[in-house]
Amino acid sequence: MSPSNGPRLLIGALLLMMAAWAGFRLHASRSQPPAFVAVPAGRASPSIPSDSAGEPALPAGSLLGTPIPSQLPSFSINDLQGHPTTAAAWSGKSLVLNFWATWCGPCQREVPLLQALSTEWSGRNVAVVGIAVDHRDQVQSFAERFKIGYPLLVGEQDALDLAAKLGLGSPVFPFTVFADRRGQVVALFVGELHRPQADLILSVLQELNQDKVQLPDARHLIADGLEKLGDKLSS
Amino acid sequence: MKNAASALLLATVALAGIAQAKPWWMRGSDANETDFLPPNVAFRAGARIEGSAVKVRWVIADGYYLYKSKIEIAAESPDLTVGAPDLPAGTTKTDQFMGTQEIYTQQVEVTAPYTRADAGAHPMQIKVTYQGCAEAGLCYPPITRVLFPGIPTEQIVAPSTPFRWERIAMIGGLLAFLLAGLVLRRGRKLELPAA
Repeated sequence: MSPSNGPRLLIGALLLMMAAWAGFRLHASRSQPPAFVAVPAGRASPSIPSDSAGEPALPAGSLLGTPIPSQLPSFSINDLQGHPTTAAAWSGKSLVLNFWATWCGPCQREVPLLQALSTEWSGRNVAVVGIAVDHRDQVQSFAERFKIGYPLLVGEQDALDLAAKLGLGSPVFPFTVFADRRGQVVALFVGELHRPQADLILSVLQELNQDKVQLPDARHLIADGLEKLGDKLSS
Repeated sequence: MKNAASALLLATVALAGIAQAKPWWMRGSDANETDFLPPNVAFRAGARIEGSAVKVRWVIADGYYLYKSKIEIAAESPDLTVGAPDLPAGTTKTDQFMGTQEIYTQQVEVTAPYTRADAGAHPMQIKVTYQGCAEAGLCYPPITRVLFPGIPTEQIVAPSTPFRWERIAMIGGLLAFLLAGLVLRRGRKLELPAA
């Protein structure tokens, strides 16, 4: 190599390094997961509006945040009489915690089912508890109008805090949490609950309580069962 | 047994048309297939100024709806006055429990007159409130947002531009590679093997 070749080789090497950097950069950008996850159209997965309404594209996300506890978080929320109530009030029982609001149509439609579940399952150590995120007087008159027999708690920020602790990133209604007699969160159902879904979850919950299945298996049983119900819906 | 099978069949049929929400442990690669949309994706609001009116438009995801009676537009920036909004007719929805209400689906544009006392000294801000639900059986609490109708949206939120970086890398890399070839080749003689 002659001395005059030195600068040229240096420049050439630098340019090759730049090309290599560009290649690496391209490879890295292609390898990254997409910034926005598309939500495919479907029964419960409506497409994202194609028209931007003048807003930049927003990433599709889940209503559920993280982390979701495996154990029911502790809480203290007032009952209809204004007495603070904790989960200890139902110690040793499986819990069906239904978060709702009086202005929410699907929540109102769920009331007869919850009422029936409360009656049917009370002898099997399962308690249905409604947690209203609303004003006490409105909940009181609603409870009287619909003759709600299961216990009701009424909260505002404290109830929303509990929802957040359970993993709900955005407050929505209704949603229902199923916990076994040990306080393990077995299922969190977002949206209006229907009889077949409730029966499925509660029957598996009962098997879990009787130690016939372990928690991971119980979750899979519920997941598979709900999936099959969903398949039947779409067929 | 036959009764049980009939009950199961009836239960399945009863579920027809009802959406299915997945339990939390099923989140993962396929979670977005069935999750309900977050409120800011289900209902996307944008505002612009047209003459002496501010226009607020909501784009509503398929299967979701907004209540007409829950839409409110108010002034947020100082010295701004916003008049009563002109709400177009919606679709009538009758619910066993909620009664008959007017709703909006797909998209809706609401116009409200405004006046400004500060001649544009402050950026114009309005506060919009709206509330809606998913047909599949889910409702969102009232949502309140502040919008900037006088500023193009891209100035408010600078979107990330991975594509620009990709293009720079592609063109720059190609140029660098070509230049490197030219620089390294310059002055070199083609040496052929002796015959």
